[in-house]
Amino acid sequence: MSEPLILLRDIKKVFVVGKISYEVLKGVNLEVFAGDFLAIMGPSGGGKSTLLYILGLLDKPTSGSYLFEGREVSTLSEAEMAHLRNQKIGFIFQAFHLVPWATALENVLLPTLYRGSITEKDVKRASLLLDRLGLQNKQNLKPAELSGGEQQRVAIARALINQPSLLLADEPTGNLDSKSSQEVVKILKELNEEGLTIILVTHDPEVAKSAKKVKFLKDGVFVEE
Amino acid sequence: MGSSLKNSFFLVLAYYREVVKELLSNKVNLVFMVLALVLSLTAINTIYALGKSAEKQVLDTLANLNFGKDAILILAGGQRFMGVGLTRSDTLKLEDAKALEKLSFVKLVSPTSGGTLEVSYKGQVEKIRVEGVFPVYAPANTWNVKVGRFIEDEDLEKLNKVVVLGSDIPKKFGIANPIGDKILISGQHFTIVGILEEKPSFGHFPLNERVFVPFTTAQRRLFNRDYITAIKIVLQPTAEQRISVPLIRSILRQRHNLYGIAEDDFRIITPDFVLARFLSAQRVLQTFLLAISLISLVISGVVILNLMSAMVEEKAGIIALRRALGATNRIIFIHYIAMSLTVALFSGFVGWLLSLGVMHLISAFTPLKPLFSWTTFGLSLIFSVATSLIFSVIPATRATKVEPAILLKSL
Repeated sequence: MSEPLILLRDIKKVFVVGKISYEVLKGVNLEVFAGDFLAIMGPSGGGKSTLLYILGLLDKPTSGSYLFEGREVSTLSEAEMAHLRNQKIGFIFQAFHLVPWATALENVLLPTLYRGSITEKDVKRASLLLDRLGLQNKQNLKPAELSGGEQQRVAIARALINQPSLLLADEPTGNLDSKSSQEVVKILKELNEEGLTIILVTHDPEVAKSAKKVKFLKDGVFVEE
Repeated sequence: MGSSLKNSFFLVLAYYREVVKELLSNKVNLVFMVLALVLSLTAINTIYALGKSAEKQVLDTLANLNFGKDAILILAGGQRFMGVGLTRSDTLKLEDAKALEKLSFVKLVSPTSGGTLEVSYKGQVEKIRVEGVFPVYAPANTWNVKVGRFIEDEDLEKLNKVVVLGSDIPKKFGIANPIGDKILISGQHFTIVGILEEKPSFGHFPLNERVFVPFTTAQRRLFNRDYITAIKIVLQPTAEQRISVPLIRSILRQRHNLYGIAEDDFRIITPDFVLARFLSAQRVLQTFLLAISLISLVISGVVILNLMSAMVEEKAGIIALRRALGATNRIIFIHYIAMSLTVALFSGFVGWLLSLGVMHLISAFTPLKPLFSWTTFGLSLIFSVATSLIFSVIPATRATKVEPAILLKSL
């Protein structure tokens, strides 16, 4: 079997608030291979988002080992982590998090700005991505002029612009009606079928069903359901 | 290379668009930041420029008075800048002037004997400054007659009762055809032989309200005294005041038998001294006002600090998003510094423009002339940029500390 895209070994995360410390992750082990579609479910406060946060290189674990494409993440500098986030990881959030003053197209192009180059090719690709996600006529509209489902599709296009190897989704359908939810799930499935590795955190069993694998995180550890 | 340069240019442009759009996304914040800077910058620029303008005006006036670099005025009586001296003032003699005339670095020596006397014309009586002068007075003060002639050697020899009027006198007395007409000075008839050109007045010295009579006539017929009141000296162009002034002083002290700690019974007034006297008060005031406006600039800085901090807080979600999308701390820091720089340059420009307006307004009510200067323009930008940079370091640093976790639903 090939090397896993993600390899977590005994990941622990402790938050210290004043004199009290909370152990949110209590030794998480995980292997994710290229092409996987993993849904992480579990009760609130179980550590799902913290795990996603660590997986997305937005934070470092307190202890344990995290290999991303074979590289130990704990040894990376802030700038190296930023570079990896930019090049290898796409994010989709429950609240979409689009820049309100930028058009749909500009929002999609934002990661290329932090990559350090915007080319004609990028603009064309952003436009094609929006077309593919059914937003061909809405490229120059601002987020406030788009519906929730449309905003989330812009966010998906933005996550894909730098052709990442991993897509992380935090409750991507949490703010959407059922029709828009279904659309987003359909898009994620298609992307996965094209080879994109996806990890999503969700409360919704229907959404989780679309994944190839489902794992349950409870009290900081993966449990069998 | 060319295309990579072009790419970098577009990249910077794209970054900058983000900066400007974010600034414009909270217009109230933006307006207050600009306002805070503009107000204190306008004050600083106006005060600085008006100070410069006042200085220039004093210099111009001095130049008009021919109190140029090469002139020295010796007044009888010591210890005071202008007006009547505090020491004896009857010790300055014509012989002193003659002694100074022999100095090689002296070009012209013009002794005068003056005083305020009653002058009348057709029943109108006024107290007027009367100066007894030699013909050399005119070239020594570069003051020419407009009509008629000046005092001549013959007038001195014959103790002629002739008078040359300052330009304001005919109007003051309503003399229609002055040349040849007569006025009374201390009850004696004097024939008007000339009228001087108008000189710009300087402070409280109404130069054009004087009348000039032959020196000898003044001494014998008007003042009846043997001392003089002033000596105007014009130095050779090569002479240096730094050397000539102390030398003149020591000659006069010797001639007046002043030794050791004895006070001078005369005053030597140089253009530098006049300038220093007239400018020092104004400079103190200007420095004081500038200090106040610098304090106001610090206050503006604190306002910027607060508003930028509020902006960082308000935009925390977007900052976190930028980090999630791959922006490094450096990029985020530069982003907020660029924002404050934009505000600073804009405010600096507006502050400078406004100060020009304020100066024009002030010049409408005062003799000060508005002064356009690149120095104040540069000053405005530098102060503005320095203030915003210093006070935006904290918010920009705070922006780099925003945790991307806030993007996620819950911890």
